[in-house]
Amino acid sequence: MNIRPLTRNSAGDFVGEVTGIDLAAPLSDADVAAIDAGMDRFAVLVFHDQHFDDDTQLAFSRRFGELEISSGGEMSRPEDRRLKLEMADISNLDRNSRLRAADDRVRLSALGNRLWHSDASFRAIPAKYSLLSARVVPAKGGNTEFADMRAAYETLDEATKSEIEDLITEHSNAYSRETIGFPREAYGAENQDKLRPVRHRLVRTHPVTGRKSLYLSAHIGGIVGWPMPEARAFIRDLTEHATQPAFIHAHAWREWDLVMWDNRTTMHRARRYDDLHDVRDMRRSTVRGDAMTAPQAQAA
Amino acid sequence: MKLTPLHDGFVAEASEIDISRPLSADEVAAIEAGMDQYAVLVFRDQPLTDETQQAFSRNFGELEQALIAQMSAATAQRLKSFEMADVSNLDANGNLRARDDNRRMYALGNRLWHADASFRATGAIYSLLSARVVPSRGGNTEFADMRAAYDALDEATKAQVGDLITEHSIAFSRAELGFAEYGPGNEDKVRPVRHSLVRTHPVTGRKSLYLSAHIGTIVGWPMPEARAFIRDLTEHATQRQFTHAHEWRVNDLVMWDNRTTMHRARRYRDLEEVRDLRRTTIRGTGLTAEQVPAMAAE
Repeated sequence: MNIRPLTRNSAGDFVGEVTGIDLAAPLSDADVAAIDAGMDRFAVLVFHDQHFDDDTQLAFSRRFGELEISSGGEMSRPEDRRLKLEMADISNLDRNSRLRAADDRVRLSALGNRLWHSDASFRAIPAKYSLLSARVVPAKGGNTEFADMRAAYETLDEATKSEIEDLITEHSNAYSRETIGFPREAYGAENQDKLRPVRHRLVRTHPVTGRKSLYLSAHIGGIVGWPMPEARAFIRDLTEHATQPAFIHAHAWREWDLVMWDNRTTMHRARRYDDLHDVRDMRRSTVRGDAMTAPQAQAA
Repeated sequence: MKLTPLHDGFVAEASEIDISRPLSADEVAAIEAGMDQYAVLVFRDQPLTDETQQAFSRNFGELEQALIAQMSAATAQRLKSFEMADVSNLDANGNLRARDDNRRMYALGNRLWHADASFRATGAIYSLLSARVVPSRGGNTEFADMRAAYDALDEATKAQVGDLITEHSIAFSRAELGFAEYGPGNEDKVRPVRHSLVRTHPVTGRKSLYLSAHIGTIVGWPMPEARAFIRDLTEHATQRQFTHAHEWRVNDLVMWDNRTTMHRARRYRDLEEVRDLRRTTIRGTGLTAEQVPAMAAE
C-alpha cells in the first residue's frame, strides 16, 4: 500500500491517494493499521477502483469500529428504504430506483448536504470515519469538497483560540435543514425526538495525534450561554475562515472510488449536479466515535 | 473633486470636496458619474451632522425611512429623524445595548452579505454611511462587486439565472440567525417582495447579480433548492477578488450603490466599545420585477 499526497496546506498533509490495496478482499491487521495511520496523518484518503457491493463495504468499514445506523434510514419507514439500515443512501433514487421528483421530501432534506458539515455531529457520540463508495456518478458536477479543521484551527489568531477554547455548541439536524427552509415538522411527529440538540466542544483534540481542530458543522444552532443570533453569526464567521480555498480539497468522483474521511478533523459538502436527470448513487458507511466531546444537557 | 482608485473599477476615494456644504449640479453629477464608474466611494474627513448628511443625500433622490424605525415605538428611537438609520450599538439613552437586547439581535443580521432594503419592492439606490464614533478594533464594512460577480459566471449559469425571480423579506435574513421577534403590528413589513436575480444598471447598462441575505426563495423553485443555489451564488459573488474591506475612521462617509453591490458588517467588541454610524438611504424608483398583488411590502 502506497499513499501519495494530493493536497497539503500550512498545517501539513490533508488528502492522500492510496494505491496497491484491494479493500474488497479480506485485510490483515497490518493493512488496517496502515490505513488508520494514514487517516491520522492525512484526514481524507482516496482509493480508486474498489469494486464494493454493500456487504464488502460494510465488512471493510467494520474493521475500524462499530457502524452507525444512518439517520435517513432510522427516520424513514422500512418499506421506503432502498438500502440496509447501516448504509446511508446518498443517491437521488427512491426505493424503486427511480429519480426523485423536484419536490420529493427526501430530496429536499438531502439538499442540506450542500452545507459544510461533519457527519452525525447531531449525535452525542458523533461519527469517527465516513466511507463513501461511488457506484454511479453523474456526467457533470456532484463533487464532494473537504475542509481541514486542523489547519483551520491552527491558523486562528491567539485571541480567537483562547475565546473559543471552552465553548460548547448545540447541534441538531433540524438546524441545518431550517437554514435552507426545510422545516423540522417535515420530519414527522415520530422523529421529533431525534432532532433534540446535543452538545459538543467547539475545539476538540484528536485522541491519537493530539492535534486540535475546530469542530464545526451546519448542524450547529447555538453556543451554550450565548444569544442564538450572536452564536450563529460567530459560527458563520468561523466557518468562512475554515472553508477558505487554502484549506479545501475538491474530489471529482469516478465510479468505484472509495473516499474515507475523519469527521473529527474535517468538514465536507456535496456540490450541485443535474439530479433531476442524472443518477448519482453513492453509499456511505459510518464508523461510530468512541466518546462524547462534552457533557449533555439533562434529558437531551 | 478627485477620485483615487482603492479597488480597481470598484472602490475609489473621493477627495478635494466638502460634502457638508451645498453642492453645485456639476459636483452632484461628478459624484454620480463616479458612483457609476465605481460602485463605492469613500469620502474622508467629512464631519457631518444628521442635517448636513440628509441635505447631502437628498442631492441623489428621495430619502427612505429606516425599517427598524418604522417597526419600533418612537420612544425607542435614539435619532430624531426616521430618515436616519441608526447603525450603532446604542439605545435611546445613548447607553451600550446589553448582550440580549432585542434590537442588538436584530442588528446582527447586518453581518450577513446583503443589499440594503432589498426587502422593499423598489429596493434602494444609494446608501450613505457616516462614521461618528468608531471602535478601536474590528467593525469593518466589506463590499462585494455584483457586476464583477455576474461577469465571472460561466455562460450556462448566466443563462440559468437570467430570468429568475427571487423573493426577499427581512424575516428571511433574520430567521437564518434564529431571530423572529418583530413585535405585533409588523406582519405587513415582513411580507416578501419580488426582484429579478439579474438586474441591469440604468446608466451603464451593465448587468449584476441582485443577491441579498434577505432572499428566501426563487419563484417556482422548492425553497431548500432555491436557498442552496442562492448560497452557492453568494459564495461565488463574495470571493476575495470581488470584495473590499473598509476600515472606518471618524468622519468617513462611504456611499455605495445597492443595485450593484452587497455589503456586510464585521464583528467588534460591541458590548464594550461604541460604534456610532448613521445611514441615509436613497429610495429606489422602480420595480425590478412584477409584484404579487396584495403581497408585497411597501
